[in-house]
Amino acid sequence: METIIKVQNLSKSYKADKVLDIEALDIPKGQSFGLVGNNGAGKTTFFSLLLDLIQPTTGHIENKGIIVSENEDWKPYTSSFIDESFLIGYLTAEEYFYFIGDLRNTSKAEVDELLAEFADFFHGEILNQKKYLRDLSKGNQKKAGIVAALIGNPEVVILDEPFANLDPTTQIRLKKIIKDLSAQKNVTVLVSSHDLMHVTEVCERVVVLDKGQVVKDIYTSEATLKELELYFER
Amino acid sequence: MILGALYFGGLAILAGIGVFFIFKKAIPDQDPFMLINNYMIYWVMGDLALRYFMQQLPVMNIKPMLLLPVKRQSVIQFLLLKTSFSFFNILPLLFFIPLTIVLMVQGYNPLMAVLWFASILAISFSINFLNFILNKNNTAFYVVIALLASFIGLQYFNIFDITPYTGVFFNSFYEVGFTALLPVALVIVLFRMNYRLLRKNFYVDGAVQTKKEKFKNYNLEFLNRFGTLATFLKNDVKMITRNARPKQVLLMSFLFLFYGLIFFTQDTYKNMPVFLAFAAIFVSGGFLITFGQLVPSWDSEYYKLMMSQNVSYKKYLESKWLLMVIGCAVSFVLSTPYIYFGWDIYAMIAAGASFNIGLNSFITLYGGALNRVPIELNQKAKAFSNTQGFNPTQLLISLPKILGPMIIFYLPYKFINFNAGIIALALSGVLGLVFKSYFLKIIENLYQKNKYKTISAFSEKK
Repeated sequence: METIIKVQNLSKSYKADKVLDIEALDIPKGQSFGLVGNNGAGKTTFFSLLLDLIQPTTGHIENKGIIVSENEDWKPYTSSFIDESFLIGYLTAEEYFYFIGDLRNTSKAEVDELLAEFADFFHGEILNQKKYLRDLSKGNQKKAGIVAALIGNPEVVILDEPFANLDPTTQIRLKKIIKDLSAQKNVTVLVSSHDLMHVTEVCERVVVLDKGQVVKDIYTSEATLKELELYFER
Repeated sequence: MILGALYFGGLAILAGIGVFFIFKKAIPDQDPFMLINNYMIYWVMGDLALRYFMQQLPVMNIKPMLLLPVKRQSVIQFLLLKTSFSFFNILPLLFFIPLTIVLMVQGYNPLMAVLWFASILAISFSINFLNFILNKNNTAFYVVIALLASFIGLQYFNIFDITPYTGVFFNSFYEVGFTALLPVALVIVLFRMNYRLLRKNFYVDGAVQTKKEKFKNYNLEFLNRFGTLATFLKNDVKMITRNARPKQVLLMSFLFLFYGLIFFTQDTYKNMPVFLAFAAIFVSGGFLITFGQLVPSWDSEYYKLMMSQNVSYKKYLESKWLLMVIGCAVSFVLSTPYIYFGWDIYAMIAAGASFNIGLNSFITLYGGALNRVPIELNQKAKAFSNTQGFNPTQLLISLPKILGPMIIFYLPYKFINFNAGIIALALSGVLGLVFKSYFLKIIENLYQKNKYKTISAFSEKK
């Protein structure tokens, strides 16, 4: 299968402190890829490097052949929701979706069409609320952020801790959304999580980071959850 | 922040020492102390207005204290008393203590002077507590501002002078003495009211809860004429109208419109037109400067989003520039009444607007790119926190903003004549416009170069 994300000799250090060190990592197109690890393992650092929000100390990441820190052409087909700083607090959910749509060359009608697909996921708490995003609950903010990351038919979707703060029903729906993205639309989805069960359920492949290093790289099977639990029990 | 406080504190002390002698010299045949008392009414109203949009409410700090094992009564009293140490209460002290000492030295009855000082202090604290009761109440603020403006206006045009009437009241603290009980009683009453207000709302869903603003929507379709820039323009209009901090900037830029009054009404400056050029820049450039110097900080809360989306710096910058230009144009239109001071002055303002649009806008945007101060959009700026950006680089970048127009005007004015100076200033703006894409490119490169630095500065928690 065609590789879409290619990591080579990637490392990030703050002074003498090496927070990420990945020699090589290839993610094929359409894979649903899970990243797990304890706090400080380097998950968010990796995603930030992938989005060129921080500069690598050594090495680079290629996104569909484009080195992300040298060229911005990966942006049109890559989207992400990392944290609240990806939301614009003073907009309503609709305004925010249309704004993202504008940035990603997606018309209002197309955005509306997409939103209609997620009516279930929104559970009537996002659209037509006459409320600014900053006044929504954490969980609802997250819903809006995740769906915004799906606007404009991205080929790579990056979600940091998408399950945190969501209620059980929404978690189940989100799992289905992620699975469908990868299975039906051939979208590469990168997800990080602290919840081993969710990750093993959703992702075809799970990579465990510890102190910035890849310590496990597993293609999920029935035994994966046990294996991960055993590893983290140490 | 400290620099600003020191500056204003120093100014207050100097004014406190000097005010008596200034009045004595200006109007020798009247008691300067009486005159000071007459003008006290303006201090009361001005202070109230200033505090309205500068001072922070004590309720903001309740939440972390709710769970402390301390009696609510003590927490509330502590919160209220703590506000006494706000800079806005210390500033009057710095002014009135020196003034009282001067009064004593000048042979006023020391005991009564102290009584007078105590009354003024009580009034100052009354303003403090009154402000908390009124706060967030726009009507009260506009009433105060309107009264203040009309009193000053009426006095300026010699129609009606309120000061002698209110002066009697302030003077009585010194002359009669026991009237001092009035302001003291007022402080106590206002303190009690505040206490009760806080006590009643001392719950997470009470005063502590941040007010949810009602959703406001306007039709911004007309901005679509700006094509691809419309996306950003529409967003910026929403940003400005829906957040506390930019609204504050909007108000400030409105006040800048009146900056010219200080200069244009004084005969002293008639012979020094270079200062008129200086003033003219601020008349039309209030918004351009105050808004522009915080680009891209305005977008700091969601800067990571902007940086990971397909946003072109050029369009981003161009839309901000356009907004600044629109602001400048609106200010210019609003400055039309300056024609009252003569066409020369108005021509100067027009030339200043041209400079603002063509050159100042780019200089300001360049300075903003170096600023990198994260902004909490929906939080009013604390007093003097806008001096955060006060560093050598900022100072250096503000030099061309201030000196530039003065020099551009002064040289042709000195060697040819007044009109030549105005034409030169106006032309400088036009010239700047010609090089617009070049200037934007320079700023864009600066953005690109500092991308990571800016992202990390903006994601730092305040």
